[in-house]
Amino acid sequence: MPEAMLPTEVVLGAWVAAGLTLFIYSFLYKDNPLFKLGEHLYVGISVGYSVVLAWHTVFLRLLWEPLQKAVGEAPASPDSYVLLIPATLGVFMLTRFIPQISWLSRIAFAFVVGFGSGVAIPRTISSYILKQIEDTVNPLLTMGAGGLTMGFDLAAPQSGVNTIILLVGVVSVLFYFFFSVEHTGAGMVTARTGIYFLMIAFGAAFGYTVMSRMSLLIGRFRDLITFAGAAYGYATLVLLAVTVLSLVGWELATRRKTGGASPE
Amino acid sequence: MKDFARRMVGIDRRIIFLLITAAILLPMLKPFGLPIKVSPEVKAVYDYIEAMPERSVFLLSFDFDPSSKPELEPQAVALLRHAFRKNLRVIGMTHWLTGTGLADGVFSAVAAETGKERGKDYAFLGWSPGGGALIISMGQDLYKAFPSDYSKTPTQGMPVLEGVRNLRDVNYMVSLAAGGSGIEMWYVFGKDKYRFEMAGGSTGVIAPGLYPFLRSGQINGLIGGLQGAAEYETLIGQKGMATAGMDAQSAAHFVIIALVLLCNVFYFMLRGEQGRPR
Repeated sequence: MPEAMLPTEVVLGAWVAAGLTLFIYSFLYKDNPLFKLGEHLYVGISVGYSVVLAWHTVFLRLLWEPLQKAVGEAPASPDSYVLLIPATLGVFMLTRFIPQISWLSRIAFAFVVGFGSGVAIPRTISSYILKQIEDTVNPLLTMGAGGLTMGFDLAAPQSGVNTIILLVGVVSVLFYFFFSVEHTGAGMVTARTGIYFLMIAFGAAFGYTVMSRMSLLIGRFRDLITFAGAAYGYATLVLLAVTVLSLVGWELATRRKTGGASPE
Repeated sequence: MKDFARRMVGIDRRIIFLLITAAILLPMLKPFGLPIKVSPEVKAVYDYIEAMPERSVFLLSFDFDPSSKPELEPQAVALLRHAFRKNLRVIGMTHWLTGTGLADGVFSAVAAETGKERGKDYAFLGWSPGGGALIISMGQDLYKAFPSDYSKTPTQGMPVLEGVRNLRDVNYMVSLAAGGSGIEMWYVFGKDKYRFEMAGGSTGVIAPGLYPFLRSGQINGLIGGLQGAAEYETLIGQKGMATAGMDAQSAAHFVIIALVLLCNVFYFMLRGEQGRPR
């Protein structure tokens, strides 16, 4: 049974995506002009897309259209012009490019820093410090039907044994970063314990990072496999051949130019 | 033996790239179907959504862009399928400007698949600047923060937003995050202030840093990376992109572990040689 025809823009998008993916992965062989092309297109398109979207969302939707509407409905009311205040502060930011009046940007930055600090400091203290301290100091013993008990289940986050591990970890890592006292004797043991906790944390973070990077690779391969189908005009296979042939041609041409030496 | 170790330590890195490519490509072309074990943190998100009554308000924030698509898109698809199946009212948005088109595409595709209607069953509000300030603004008045949705339809009077004035009317929210402007920001400026329950879905890179929030109950669940997405697909009984990638993920991990072990063996064999690490 023949496959359903895909819209032209979908097929075209698949060719662009497959081509750029292969161009970027060609860096694994070595730095080359195809990789450079992909890299520059990525940067240019990201910036262009962001500018257009910001223009429509911020300038038109949040400033121009509400201002136009408010002024049209009540031109005499001062409330209709309130959006001009943030707009003016925004224009002040752009004065950074004109040295003679760049001092105006400080007003806008002062507003941003003042507002940002005021909003962020209390919330951050509450969420990152107080709540986390609260969780670090859990009760070791719990009152159950059979009296006071201590949990030894490592899989249960709130168990007594995990509370001890957590407390030892927090105290020893904090001590490791406490440089006012020489790390000798008991201090050295505590600091060493802190290092072990840090190592375990770094190992876990690195393991997750590897997993994440492999997932991204799987995602690209999934797309490349999809685009290798007849519905997409065998985009991956054709472009893979084009990429390999281009790299071979580039390698030969560069070697001829450099008298047999590899471009690297 | 030392000669072999010396040659192996100096191996062309491109051979390692080929090994990883083979480890990923072969299971993708011929899957062997390893079992997927569901973790408690993923189950917690599923259980919460499962227990929500019909037409409850579920806010899904796409706090990522196309560079994290392979990990977070499967999570988004699985969560949306579950929410639409439960007949929840879904509100979508993003804090990442470059993720707007991607998020709208995911919403439209899953809504079309499940027969849901924009404006009635779900709304995609799009992107707005401000980060934490935007969340505070949504906590005060959703309609001032988003006067219109992504398709420029006024939010005021949308059937899907009936009875929703601000974040206090949201029953559950999940932030799918690839960085700082995501789960932590939603907790700090949203949940902590406006008291709604929330969970997170994240890339593998930032997942370890979110476990303290999970432990302390600041978030009630966490879907981490492609593995988390595969677990969620297993829970909703609808296998998708994430499950398909799990065999490849396991094979790649196996190759990496083997390479790390071999490299350590060669390192210890060559220890003490001139010019080699001691």
